[in-house]
Amino acid sequence: MKAFGEIWRSNIFQKWLMALTGLLLVGFLLGHLSGNLLVFLGKEDINSYAHGLRTMGHGMVIWIVRLGLLSMFVLHVTAAITLSRRNRAARPQSYAKVTPRKSTVASRTMLYSGLLLLSYVLYHLAHFTWGAVHAGNYAGQIGWEYTLADGTLVPDVYRMVVASFQVPLIAVLYVLSMVMVGLHLNHAIASAFQTMGVTNQRLVPLIRRIGPALSFIVAAGFSAVPLAILAGVVK
Amino acid sequence: MNLRLHIWRQSGPDAQGMLKTYDVQNVSEHMSFLEMLDVLNEDLLTKGEIPVAFDHDCREGICGTCGMVINGRPHGPLVRTTACQLHMRTFKDGDEIYIEPWRARAFPVMRDLIVDRGSFDRIIQKGGFVSVNTGNAQDGNAIPISKKDADRAMDAAACIGCGACVAACPNSSAMLFTAAKVGHLGSLPQGQTERSTRAMNMVLQMDAEGFGACTNHYECEAACPKGISAEFIAQMNKDFVASAFGGRD
Repeated sequence: MKAFGEIWRSNIFQKWLMALTGLLLVGFLLGHLSGNLLVFLGKEDINSYAHGLRTMGHGMVIWIVRLGLLSMFVLHVTAAITLSRRNRAARPQSYAKVTPRKSTVASRTMLYSGLLLLSYVLYHLAHFTWGAVHAGNYAGQIGWEYTLADGTLVPDVYRMVVASFQVPLIAVLYVLSMVMVGLHLNHAIASAFQTMGVTNQRLVPLIRRIGPALSFIVAAGFSAVPLAILAGVVK
Repeated sequence: MNLRLHIWRQSGPDAQGMLKTYDVQNVSEHMSFLEMLDVLNEDLLTKGEIPVAFDHDCREGICGTCGMVINGRPHGPLVRTTACQLHMRTFKDGDEIYIEPWRARAFPVMRDLIVDRGSFDRIIQKGGFVSVNTGNAQDGNAIPISKKDADRAMDAAACIGCGACVAACPNSSAMLFTAAKVGHLGSLPQGQTERSTRAMNMVLQMDAEGFGACTNHYECEAACPKGISAEFIAQMNKDFVASAFGGRD
């Protein structure tokens, strides 16, 4: 019998890990998006939602989710790097001329869009979660407390989001990164189902249409917040 | 018609290769691509030069021996067509044509356009077969197989092992080839006994040969002269992971 280590290192198992963690990360993105869109409902809604996330299960849930997200990221990125290195090594001499038939810009640039997204995620966390960059707009700072309808004092997430996206550079960087998310997911979603082994002829054509459509919805949904703030619709 | 060819010339496995340019005159549109190369080689021989080495056998599009990347596409611009079945009417006077060997670490160039596809044989040896007891021939229809399963097995069995899928894949992955073999036998009742070990062993051998991993570009199915669907790759992924967690190999 083969040792599990040998299977773990195999290309298909690494691909399968990427697909599984990738789909879970897409699930997280959809949850994140639904939270972000609360900005359009107003201060009370998003601030009580943010407070709810931080206090759910005596503040345990957020750490469990963070731990899960971190391990998914680590697995996804290490598998991506491992496989990309192998894929490059598999063709030491390239063609003088290549005429692609079915591959797309999105599918051929997965590694680059992925690495750009990774760097963006770190910057994004440094900004909105850690308050390490753009600290002047951080919700956790003294004097930015918001009083919920039930009287609880919470960090003013709404003010952080609005103040941040009123800075054009932050908003533009955000929107560009969401275009990158759209590009990455355009190939990723349907691709993950192929790797997971979905062969049903009723489902496959559906998935290949839903994947790109969902990637567009995610990119457009996230971009709507900074664009609305920049345009002065939300203030 | 007159053509300008840029052909990969390499004198041996360890030699440094390069693209060399040749002009061929008076090419008939009725020639096959390989016949056009035959004419070039006759010409080279009369000039005392070394002819271009390329693989070919049946020249009927069924053996899988020929194969070269023509203008950036394995077997050339037509779909579901091997290089030997590609005719010069597809090209026009004055065309420049790039002709290169399959490019993959697992397909080392032996000479010019000839690559060693022994890696495919070694993948097959790991499980591309059904072990049966020999003896009297079984009654026809003793094992019922639905038309659907028979068709599906036949679709996969159409693979001629030419290697175009590897050549077309940006990652030089052999997933379509291996998946066709796994899917062919996995679609039939006779193939069930060894289904789990087959997927496991063939996939691990494919990795060991140095083929890349699939990134679902689907260039392989587009390049396949037999039109084998990448759906078989999904099936193999499923069989492999099922074997990883539940196999008795």
